[in-house]
Amino acid sequence: MTDYIARHSLEQYLFIPKMFQGFPEIKEALISNRIQAGFLVAPLAIALRSQGVPIKIVFLGHRYGSAMVVKRGGPVKTVADLKGKTIAIPSRFSDERLLLLRALKANGLGPTDVRTLEMAPPDVAGALASDAIDGFVMGEPFPSQAEMGGFGQVLFHAREYWPDYMSCVLVVRDDIIEKRPEAVQVLVDGIARSGLWLDEGQTEREYAAEFVGRYYYNQPPSLLKWALTRPLDRVRFNPLLPRKDDFELVHGLMLEYGLIEKPIAFEDYVDARFAEGAVAETAWDYPVGHGRMDVNQLPME
Amino acid sequence: MSPRKLLTALALWTLAISVLHVSLNTRWDSFVNELRPEQERKLNVAYIPVT
Repeated sequence: MTDYIARHSLEQYLFIPKMFQGFPEIKEALISNRIQAGFLVAPLAIALRSQGVPIKIVFLGHRYGSAMVVKRGGPVKTVADLKGKTIAIPSRFSDERLLLLRALKANGLGPTDVRTLEMAPPDVAGALASDAIDGFVMGEPFPSQAEMGGFGQVLFHAREYWPDYMSCVLVVRDDIIEKRPEAVQVLVDGIARSGLWLDEGQTEREYAAEFVGRYYYNQPPSLLKWALTRPLDRVRFNPLLPRKDDFELVHGLMLEYGLIEKPIAFEDYVDARFAEGAVAETAWDYPVGHGRMDVNQLPME
Repeated sequence: MSPRKLLTALALWTLAISVLHVSLNTRWDSFVNELRPEQERKLNVAYIPVT
């Protein structure tokens, strides 16, 4: 996504997209200023800010797109069956962990009724296939990977326990927000336009799956196609404005489960100016059609 | 093959591999970016292959 924005922004390259394999590495890179912006799970971003790391949330990456997956044909048929099981999560400070805790609570279970294990997202499907874990809560395309592989089945999608669920958010270092707000606006505008383009329909999503799989994620396009289209609202890219209500829910859960020690004001960890500046944006004008697979004209992440 | 030819071939092979490595495996855009004045530097944006 950022690469496409860079290629089409102000006739110059403003951004360098860098792929990481886990959130802890992104956290370290942000703290050390090796990267100036990045996508983090929302609770991790809030926790970092509460610990004094100079970052702000400026936009969302998507909505929904996380699911609890268990072994197909295994003993877990309901959430209540998770008692005593080992569940992989991307981070202790992740929306996926909070989602799991919400689902457990709704089914009369507590945090101590399951064993959670932090695991890098790309490792979870293999761990489930080899019975190293009983299930995982993770963002796409890893639930789809387990489904496609025939060894996993979705126990629940995020929307079943968390309406308007959000996971990854875009964070930017404070010094960049202060000194180069125009660059931040270009980035947010670009992500907004990409989201609108992706939500135009199945054709756009299938096309995105092709080039993102091949040129960015190094994952099979068929996997991303599954994740983006089965069903079409499995992952949504609108609305991406950071809403106070959504974050207060996350913030409240973080306090409840001890992820932060004291409350932090919404305005202290979110800067919504750039998202508000992007509300009038429209989808990228990038019609999908035969023969348009051109790496130099790639749309979005 | 004479030792001299063997050494020459080895040196050429090493040079070719080194040139390929430096051109294909080094993020020159990142390297050059670090040398720019702060205000002109491109922003490094992190993502992971997950939604």
